[in-house]
Amino acid sequence: MATKKKETVPTGPHTPISSLSKEAAEATTPEESVSKPPAEGKDPKTPKPRADGAESVKGFKTKVGPESAMAAVYKAPNTSKLKDIGEASFGPPPPKAETVHGPDDRIKITTTSIYPWRAHASLLITAADGSQWIGTGWFIGPHTLMTAGHVVYIKNSGVAGRDGWVRSIDVMPGRNGSSLPYGKVTSRNFRSVVGWANSGDENFDYGAIILSTNLGNTTGWFGFGVFSDADLLASVGNISGYPGDKPAGTQWYDARRIANVNARKVYYDIDTFGGQSGSAVYRIINGGRYGIAVHAYGGATTNSGTRIVRPVFDNMVNWKA
Amino acid sequence: MALSPSVISGVVHGPRGEAVANARVYFTDGPVPLPDIAALTDRDGAFSLTAPAPGKYVIECATDEFAVRSQAVSVSGGQPARLEIRLKK
Repeated sequence: MATKKKETVPTGPHTPISSLSKEAAEATTPEESVSKPPAEGKDPKTPKPRADGAESVKGFKTKVGPESAMAAVYKAPNTSKLKDIGEASFGPPPPKAETVHGPDDRIKITTTSIYPWRAHASLLITAADGSQWIGTGWFIGPHTLMTAGHVVYIKNSGVAGRDGWVRSIDVMPGRNGSSLPYGKVTSRNFRSVVGWANSGDENFDYGAIILSTNLGNTTGWFGFGVFSDADLLASVGNISGYPGDKPAGTQWYDARRIANVNARKVYYDIDTFGGQSGSAVYRIINGGRYGIAVHAYGGATTNSGTRIVRPVFDNMVNWKA
Repeated sequence: MALSPSVISGVVHGPRGEAVANARVYFTDGPVPLPDIAALTDRDGAFSLTAPAPGKYVIECATDEFAVRSQAVSVSGGQPARLEIRLKK
């Protein structure tokens, strides 16, 4: 990943937009970008990851290694006649899209005040109509969290007064039930792109939350990068987040090999539930955690996230500055 | 593919018919990919989710007090749908 000295602003569907007025947005836009590698924050106590690319979590025994190992775990291929989840919106699926949702392998994270768990945040979202929602975000810098576009900007809801920028988001890093080890920060400053906000296109479903504090310096943050198809398909994807089916505000983790990719999406069988929208889909490289996609959608056959391709990367660099 | 969103509105009640606030309500199945977000019920136990395309959806409701409950609902042609979820211990 090359470090850019000059800010690159994507155009077309990736053209960035802000919840603030132009003047206000410019007032909060720093002049220089910061680096893209991860940072582990203060006294991180980061556990050493497993050799196979998954996190080392007590009780997490899922095999995520070579495909032969996957086959041993999931013996019965699902020959369901369900269409691939991407087909309904995007036409024919990419090759090898059909994969199996195996047993629920998620495991609860109890050590949420160490890195990388504390770089994830439970989100309480208040939409423009006052309705409330839960989601997940992840730090990419001192004051910036990535999340799904539909977390910060609601599109095509069909409910009067709901669409548009959400009113506010309470960000609770490292939350563990009622315990908030890093407190709560409320943000009303969001970013997304026109491909999501104007068109509601799933391929551009990503956004960011800007904090008024530099809490990320304490929690640490994820690196992120653009990787080739082959590289991603050889990777183990890790997801941790705050699903709604588990006790309120508890963080749950799962990992599996990436199932498929296309030009704008990453597909996987990593188990998720409603509330995990916006989670990092990340891989581990030499002990560093790097986001490869933003988790956004669940489906009958695979889950998927918005892939970090170059325009997404450029926006992330600008948003974390 | 043009999609016709339908709004699924509902209310969550406890075993004695009381409104359940802050219940987490989300899709677990549907005909198209669905945003992995969960709604919280308001003080009256009410919620509304957007079904982006016609078809059958499964909605699940979870709380810390009651058992998780799933219910199926079908929508068509952008027509609204109504759902009542009754939770049990």
